[in-house]
Amino acid sequence: MLKIFKSKKDKLPKSEIITCEPQVTKEPRTKCGKPLVLDNTRWERRLHKELMSLIKEPPPGVTVDTDSIGQNLSEWKINIAGFEGTLYEGENFQLLFKFNNKYPFDSPEVTFIGNNIPVHPHVYSNGHICLSILTEDWSPALSVQSVCLSIASMLSSCREKKRPPDNTLYVKTCNKNPKKTKWWYHDDSV
Amino acid sequence: MKLTIKSWTGVATWRWIANDENCGICRMSFESTCPECSLPGDDCPLVWGVCSHCFHMHCIVKWLNLQTMNKQCPMCRQSWKFNIH
Repeated sequence: MLKIFKSKKDKLPKSEIITCEPQVTKEPRTKCGKPLVLDNTRWERRLHKELMSLIKEPPPGVTVDTDSIGQNLSEWKINIAGFEGTLYEGENFQLLFKFNNKYPFDSPEVTFIGNNIPVHPHVYSNGHICLSILTEDWSPALSVQSVCLSIASMLSSCREKKRPPDNTLYVKTCNKNPKKTKWWYHDDSV
Repeated sequence: MKLTIKSWTGVATWRWIANDENCGICRMSFESTCPECSLPGDDCPLVWGVCSHCFHMHCIVKWLNLQTMNKQCPMCRQSWKFNIH
């Protein structure tokens, strides 16, 4: 892999491991005293683009609650409607997306919120969703839109409204952040 | 009529020949840079995988460095190998 970089004047690939701890080093400053633009704020442009396209051309049944989005785009609320002809027809749900500064290299934290949490074998009553693309199968080629579509299709393919079998124990013992759960993905049928 | 050209200035444009317009990781146009660069072109090159998917080099290297187990193409999830032309 290094071979191809050799031709470019032996320049090292510009990459770094993103560490999990927030960087607590002194904020770099330019000579005139203005803070430098850090990489993470530059990566926010992608989130901004995603938001614009989701507002302009939302997929069916999906609407962004634009009032819920703060200045730094780190939390979005998205409304999702149950499709016609499915068990969730006529129901409305709300998803909360939380993005950390490693997005899109790290997945967003996605949970159902509000007073209508869908009754579904992969959705816990506290809103946590058992969906592999939200943790180990995440890819930066995915997006808010594709996550919404996956969740909509997960709901649509449901044949029986019921909670996951371990719901009671899980909601009692889980971390607030579903990404901290060690999920075991075993059921591809729904 | 006889013309004498005193001087001329050549102008050229360039673009990457890729199978897509935007980088699937940062979603920036290939003709611009990844979010961490300011000069497009050789300073922020594109790289191809054997799977034929293409990204800004800095974007895909950043992603691969974060993958501990299987280093996969973000688009097709095949194991990533650089396509060296």
